[in-house]
Amino acid sequence: MSLKNADDYIITVDSLNKIFPGGIHALVSFSTKVRRGEVLVVIGPSGSGKSTFLRCLNGLEEIDSGSIIIDGIPLDDNKKNRLEIRKEVGMVFQSFNLFPHMTVLENVNLAQRLVRKKNKEQATQSTMDLLQKVGIPEKAESYPAQLSGGQQQRVAIARALAMMPKVMLFDEATSALDPEMIGEVLDVMKTLAREGMTMIVVTHEMGFAREVSDRVIFMEDGAIVEEGTVEHFFTRPEKERTKLFLSQIL
Amino acid sequence: MRNKNEHAIYTQMKRSVVLDILKFLAVIAAAVWLMSRGTERLGYNWQWYQVPKYIFQIQDGQLIWGPLIDGLMVTFRITAWGLVLATIFGLVTALFRLSASFVSRALARGYVEIIRNTPLLVQIFFLYFVLAPVLNLDRFFAAVLALSLFEGAYASEIFRAGIVSIHQGQWEAAYSLGLGSYHTYRYIVLPQAIRRILPPLTSQGISLIKDSALVSTIAVYDLTMQGRAIIAETFLTFEIWFTVAAIYLIITVTLSLVVTVMENYFKIRV
Repeated sequence: MSLKNADDYIITVDSLNKIFPGGIHALVSFSTKVRRGEVLVVIGPSGSGKSTFLRCLNGLEEIDSGSIIIDGIPLDDNKKNRLEIRKEVGMVFQSFNLFPHMTVLENVNLAQRLVRKKNKEQATQSTMDLLQKVGIPEKAESYPAQLSGGQQQRVAIARALAMMPKVMLFDEATSALDPEMIGEVLDVMKTLAREGMTMIVVTHEMGFAREVSDRVIFMEDGAIVEEGTVEHFFTRPEKERTKLFLSQIL
Repeated sequence: MRNKNEHAIYTQMKRSVVLDILKFLAVIAAAVWLMSRGTERLGYNWQWYQVPKYIFQIQDGQLIWGPLIDGLMVTFRITAWGLVLATIFGLVTALFRLSASFVSRALARGYVEIIRNTPLLVQIFFLYFVLAPVLNLDRFFAAVLALSLFEGAYASEIFRAGIVSIHQGQWEAAYSLGLGSYHTYRYIVLPQAIRRILPPLTSQGISLIKDSALVSTIAVYDLTMQGRAIIAETFLTFEIWFTVAAIYLIITVTLSLVVTVMENYFKIRV
């Protein structure tokens, strides 16, 4: 791992606490920093707070205390800041969440036109470039229901990238896919990582982590149990809990 | 895309149509027989030949519409305004109900509860006798407003149900792309909700058409009021009421057919 942009932190998260109604303490004084261009993989058992952490980063979940700063903008009650962060942080969901009543082209064009205020030609141009990049330019006129899961997820990635985000969040992006389709989505994600996109990836795909991650965080009960490079996790995990978890997923 | 199993069910349904029509005819025959027996006992003297002149007359080769058609036109105007306004009231109320603002939610809730829990007739009287003089409304618009406020309250619940039925992930995807709530509703949620909303909204529209008969109570000369006036003069009670009912039936069935076409239109685009 190279020390990319050593002190250029694009995301600073400090003592985050998130308590869901019903008293579940999903994040417990959670702190971390992410460098520009870094690929951070977050692993952990279900209910450990991985997804909640991601969802807090773009404001999908309200935090109870602590602070989040993304590229110098604090995620607070200020609506303008929030909108700015929503624009700059792209998110890919486990269940794709494509808009089923729109074609692939319309799905990817929509936010470019409404939020980035591009005209139709500009938006379509960059959409076609992105579809080329994710490998399905021929599906531009299809509806999501006509695509396989892997294709849908690649469209979802293209749709998020169309906003030219500074950070991409992947919330178990391959967990809902049939095994033979995982590879095509991971390939797109690896390309992005190599291009220098800042990425936070919640996944159990340790092969992906091994190839492109700069750092891995193992979470449980809303806190970081262990963190380090992927080699660290493969060769000399320190905590017993980490060893047990890795033995279960590998 | 229908799978084979579903397809079999559809064929089965088609086959049963003939049977359904036979059953339907049997029911109608029974109803006609009962009615003729009933009116026989009343000693009712049927005079259907009197009816056409209240629909139209031809004098000197010129077509002149009768009072029932004049009334029908008024009913059309009332229901057309009513449908548009009820849809607007319904949508706005639903959005208020779902908004983050406590005041909006309380307003919407209060409106729906008050309207749903009082009789339409009372609302029509209240609007016409109490509010109309203050707001300077003529009886036609008092009628339109009363009807659309009434049906709008029901429509708002239909809109709300349709909106909340849209999967949470759609909202989250729109949010994470930076879309505001107007754009999210306009481009993501409502286009998907409309397909689920249309069938129950049609029922509400049909109710509106039938409920519009109540405006005759404030002397708006709609179809029902014209029918009453004719009956008062001629005592053709059954003939005129049946004719009026048949005209309402034609309007409502036409509306249902139009909506079926619309549903297909929205279906194809998915």
